[in-house]
Amino acid sequence: MKGQRFSCPVLVVQGLVISLLVLGCGLNAFAQEATTTEDTRLFDTAKIWIFLAVILYSATVVYCIYHARSGKELFIRRIPGLEAVDEAIGRATEMGRSIMYILGLGGVSNVATIASMNILSQVAQKTADYETPLRVPCNDPIVMNVVQEMVKTAYLNEGRPDAYNEENIFFLTESQFAYAAGVDGMMVREKPAAVFLQGTFFAESLILAETGNSIGAIQIAGTDKEHQLPFFIAACDYTLIGEELYAASAYLSREPMLLGSLKGQDYGKVMIFGPIVIGVILELFGITWMTTFFQRVR
Amino acid sequence: MRRQVPLILCFAFGIVMALTEFSPHPFSQWLNEEIIDWTLVIGPFALVLAVATLVQSHWTRIRRRSEYWQYSFLVFIGMAAMVLIGIPLGQRHEAFVWLFRYAQVPMDATMFSLLAFFIASAAYRAFRARTLEATLLLAAALIVMIGNAPVGDLIWNTIIPFEDNLPSTARQWILDNPNLSARRGIILGISLGVISQSIRIILGIERSYLGGVEGD
Repeated sequence: MKGQRFSCPVLVVQGLVISLLVLGCGLNAFAQEATTTEDTRLFDTAKIWIFLAVILYSATVVYCIYHARSGKELFIRRIPGLEAVDEAIGRATEMGRSIMYILGLGGVSNVATIASMNILSQVAQKTADYETPLRVPCNDPIVMNVVQEMVKTAYLNEGRPDAYNEENIFFLTESQFAYAAGVDGMMVREKPAAVFLQGTFFAESLILAETGNSIGAIQIAGTDKEHQLPFFIAACDYTLIGEELYAASAYLSREPMLLGSLKGQDYGKVMIFGPIVIGVILELFGITWMTTFFQRVR
Repeated sequence: MRRQVPLILCFAFGIVMALTEFSPHPFSQWLNEEIIDWTLVIGPFALVLAVATLVQSHWTRIRRRSEYWQYSFLVFIGMAAMVLIGIPLGQRHEAFVWLFRYAQVPMDATMFSLLAFFIASAAYRAFRARTLEATLLLAAALIVMIGNAPVGDLIWNTIIPFEDNLPSTARQWILDNPNLSARRGIILGISLGVISQSIRIILGIERSYLGGVEGD
């Protein structure tokens, strides 16, 4: 990371101390007040397998992140939707039109919204370079404040603070369909050359994507809501499917440590795919213990 | 320090919240609920800033006489009406409920109903049988549509007296097998992506959400 001066081990130690203090003091206080009917177990043993799976997967991702620091080149498969980001920004610049970035309806605690904000940060660095207007209508006030700071810093990092216009990142409404109507209206009036739809979307997804399609904008979409993916695939030029949304910031920044976590994600898929294949083979031979085991895990 | 404090807090709260998911202890449950409540407290402060930007952007449009600037007056009228009725009279007052029921709900319903036309136009493009994949998609869509319509089974049973209710059975098979398998695959990918992203944030490797890395 550019300008990184705060190492992870220090952060981990300081964070762990705070976590243990909070948990220790709280448990002590509650131990004195607990009634006999309350479940005072520190660990729910029924969740042991989920816990172990999370630990195993997290350890793999962390290992891959730190392994990536060695500088060894990692193979990451091509993601067409992310390759097209430069094309979309370039097209908007050539046409002299704006870029519209829609973060969806998720709040700031939503992981998909955070992933979307990370992509926005990369997009903002490029629009700062090309001096292309970047319009971000927000549905959530907290998201709007965070995004304003992020985009401002992206412009500063590119040495173009003068090109940053705070008015381009604004709050529209919290209402789902009023937001869709507002964004549609802006699309039709301003005719942005590129539209990014990244984050959490619900029924408004197709309303936004079809309007973007009707004005001829190049559209790159991505969501964690699998029900909305068919709409985006039908109406947008490129769609990030599933985990590609979370891979985007690493893919665009090409930061080794972030790319390492993508490798960890792939190993996670192997960890799931392996038992599925073995389970299918065992079932074909009438051996059911593996299926029974996974049915009991909750 | 400007970055260190948020990163340490992010790590501490990330770990604590993850651990509370695995502990049924009353303190753990209390802590989980309490921290979620804290996030609600931030909302009103941010809302003030958000409304300020909304007013500012529409006022600028009126001042500059931008295209369709007249509509910005409607934003102010709507906002003033809801605030002036909602705050002194309360959300359960007849006038406020009337505005909600006969102004906001019909407008929302209008936008929602547009979806039907957008689905038709998107489906037309997606189902044009130009490639093998699009043809398969078209065939699957036709089966699901016929299977979903009650008249589909009736027509099938009347014309072809073989294998009763085949359209609805075929529809169910498509939804339960290829459709569900693909969905589960995507959900697994999303879940792994979420965990991976969370680890990056908790460990402070992903920091762009903090507004870059300068200013440590």
